[in-house]
Amino acid sequence: MNMEQFQDLLDRHGTDLGRWPREERTQAEHLLADNAEARAALTQARRLDAALSRLIDKQDADDAAVMRVVAKLNARPLPRQKVPLWRLPAVLLDLQFAPAWPRVAALCACAVLGFYIGISGLDRRIDRFDGSFAASSDADFGSLVFEPEPLTGERL
Amino acid sequence: MGLSDDDDPSMDDSDEALMAQVARGDERAYHRLARRHLPAMLGLARRILGNAADAEDVAQEAMLRVWTYAPRWQPLAAFRTWLTRVVVNLCLDRKRRAAWVALEAAGEIVDPSPGAGERAEANERERRLAAAVAELPDRQRTAIVLTYSEGMSNAQVAEVLDTTVSAVETLLVRGKQNLRRALGGLIDEDD
Repeated sequence: MNMEQFQDLLDRHGTDLGRWPREERTQAEHLLADNAEARAALTQARRLDAALSRLIDKQDADDAAVMRVVAKLNARPLPRQKVPLWRLPAVLLDLQFAPAWPRVAALCACAVLGFYIGISGLDRRIDRFDGSFAASSDADFGSLVFEPEPLTGERL
Repeated sequence: MGLSDDDDPSMDDSDEALMAQVARGDERAYHRLARRHLPAMLGLARRILGNAADAEDVAQEAMLRVWTYAPRWQPLAAFRTWLTRVVVNLCLDRKRRAAWVALEAAGEIVDPSPGAGERAEANERERRLAAAVAELPDRQRTAIVLTYSEGMSNAQVAEVLDTTVSAVETLLVRGKQNLRRALGGLIDEDD
């Protein structure tokens, strides 16, 4: 192992030789025993480590900053969660939708009533109701409901 | 319900268990989780960004993402690792969008007491080191911050940065080379 390789390994694995791969550690220990330049490089790397650790410790968040973020998080309601598609049915049946059920039921009732009115012909004008119904009541029911007048599209 | 709520001793205390409750919309579990990790995540954002105001925004955004994405979160990695990755990605995104604001970690200090000269020199060394760290490319600085502040192994840093161990080692080698180059012989002086 030469000095360049030793410096590279110091930067890769850090100054704690115990965390180095075994083979490289053994070679590094031999180099350190024989080479003053390697020992100086190790000392310099340890100083850099210590300086970086001190600097980074000084940049810790203070309590006031933490409290400011907490206050911001508490200041407004949490956003809607992003639910995966496979959980959507469960979400729709979730109890938190309970307040909406009467409105959903009213909407469904309106839809059913509208369908019934349409299919039973109650939406036609009353002056046309008797004749057309009488004329076709003994015919098929489908022609009364679904066949429009050929030119105007109006239902008879 | 707020983040100042008292802990409930009957709740499962692990991050993953709390996250499962958050996924079901449990705000109490969310606040407990946020209270636990916010200081560390805020500190991490501050070290990467070098700007306290931006760091607060990033920490807030990260905590909101915990709530928003909880139903989709899968415990493939530790919660702390996932959250660290969220914070790091938000920081790197912000760095891409905004110019770096130099960190004035240690300014000129006028101290008339005995030993003031030595302390001023130490402060000057620290200021230059902070400036050198600030000048590093974003990913090199992030690798160094994760290694020194979080005590992460190279494999853990690789997981957070979503890259390989070898790539992290390259980032560390280049980062330290840049620091040595910027500091010259300054680091060799005794404290």
